[in-house]
Amino acid sequence: MALFAIPDWVVRSALVVGFLAVWELGSRTGMVDPRLLPAASTVIGTALSLLETAAFRAHLWTTIAQTMAAFIIAVPVGAILGLLIAERPYASEVLKPLVFFVFSIPKSIFLPMFILAFGIGFGQKVAFGVFSAIFIMMMTAFAAVESVKREHLMVARAMGASFIQTLRSVYAPSMAPVLLEAVRLAMIFNFTGILLAEMYASRSGVGNQMGLWGQNFMIDRLLAGILIVSVLAILFNEVVRALETRLEHWR
Amino acid sequence: MTTMTTVSARGTVQVENLTQIHRSGERTTHALDNISFTIPAGKFVSVVGPSGCGKSSLLMLLVGLAQSTSGELRVAGRPVAGPDPARIGVVFQEANLFPWLTARKNVEFPLMIRNMSVKERETKARDALELVGLDEFGDRYPHELSGGMRQRVSIARGIVQDPDVLMMDEPFAALDEQTRMVMGDELLRIWERTGKTVVFVTHSLTEAIYLSDHVLVLSARPGRIIDRIDIDLPRPRTFELTSSAEFIQIRNRIWEQIRTA
Repeated sequence: MALFAIPDWVVRSALVVGFLAVWELGSRTGMVDPRLLPAASTVIGTALSLLETAAFRAHLWTTIAQTMAAFIIAVPVGAILGLLIAERPYASEVLKPLVFFVFSIPKSIFLPMFILAFGIGFGQKVAFGVFSAIFIMMMTAFAAVESVKREHLMVARAMGASFIQTLRSVYAPSMAPVLLEAVRLAMIFNFTGILLAEMYASRSGVGNQMGLWGQNFMIDRLLAGILIVSVLAILFNEVVRALETRLEHWR
Repeated sequence: MTTMTTVSARGTVQVENLTQIHRSGERTTHALDNISFTIPAGKFVSVVGPSGCGKSSLLMLLVGLAQSTSGELRVAGRPVAGPDPARIGVVFQEANLFPWLTARKNVEFPLMIRNMSVKERETKARDALELVGLDEFGDRYPHELSGGMRQRVSIARGIVQDPDVLMMDEPFAALDEQTRMVMGDELLRIWERTGKTVVFVTHSLTEAIYLSDHVLVLSARPGRIIDRIDIDLPRPRTFELTSSAEFIQIRNRIWEQIRTA
């Protein structure tokens, strides 16, 4: 359904620019209360000046560090746990339904328990991030194991490969295309979990700051925070997508 | 116990009273029954038999991918306890290359498993690819190669460690007839150049007779050896040979046995 012969990205950019223009106009003309929705230019300006303050950058780094730490733990651990469960018929039978049940429970209700168990520091955020992301990795690993060809495993065995070698040289590349889809979702869940934990009880992090700004009615900063977090999320998504494209070439 | 005393000759395959019974739950399958044979080093031996006779089970035992229920099995004088690709090379039915690796990396795979240095890996892989006539195609991915070429890469992977014996499980079954003939000649060329012992499982009688020094005929399950035939046809063998009276006579003899087995 391409309208005229305009490239998609032009249309997409036009929509974003249009959205910002409507926002700007609505706020400037007073159609929307500027106290509730400051002009787009104001918000972007606030975001830029926030990024220039050392204090905010420290909060931002805390959030990024927690997110990366949780991500680096949740993705491989989830994938390997899922693989180990899926490859053992008994474990599969017993554990798969349990993982599905836990996956369907909203993770946020466990947050108070995480605070009791881990306090409100760095470790608690990471633990909650891992908890938020690990189940999607496990469930996807269950599915991804199906794409490992038995013949390839037999070749590895015939060549005398150890379990670790087989994991690295057969399971990982076979499962990667399916798992990468989940990696993106895992990042979203992980990031959500960490921001939530920061807003709920924390002394640092972007989530903590945004919580404070909301309570103090600092709408311009709140929106600037949303903007910065969104950009972060998009950046990550693009990195994973670039990885996916690189893996595509042999398929 | 005269035959099972340690023979130092590289490349001999000795099988004595090999029996295999598969058990999965309630079901037991008697796959192989009391199989014995000896293959002298450097010989080309085919195993034929009706489908489901346990040809592939036998090969899985020979390459150490399965355990026999009883009996003894020695390759190059030593018992086979598990996969040992440096002693026993293996080529599977489908080429079974890893699609995410180039032809060269596929050939290097068994060397990588043994943690060989990159340099040594590259040299050996290049030699192996050259031997199968694919030195120009090392950087191609499997999906960029024809079926015959993929199987050549698989042969290169099987012999890259210079094993004493090459075990092949219906390696050309998935190829079309013409490619199959070409690959047969190609295999004979490689065999003559390397002097390896080859054990070749196939369901094609023509292929078995055309390639081999000896043909072992297995019966229907449980697989027993019902005949061993020496193929004294002169080498190098040519396509015309397949329509000679002697060739046809051997083929008929095997066919008769398989049909009535």
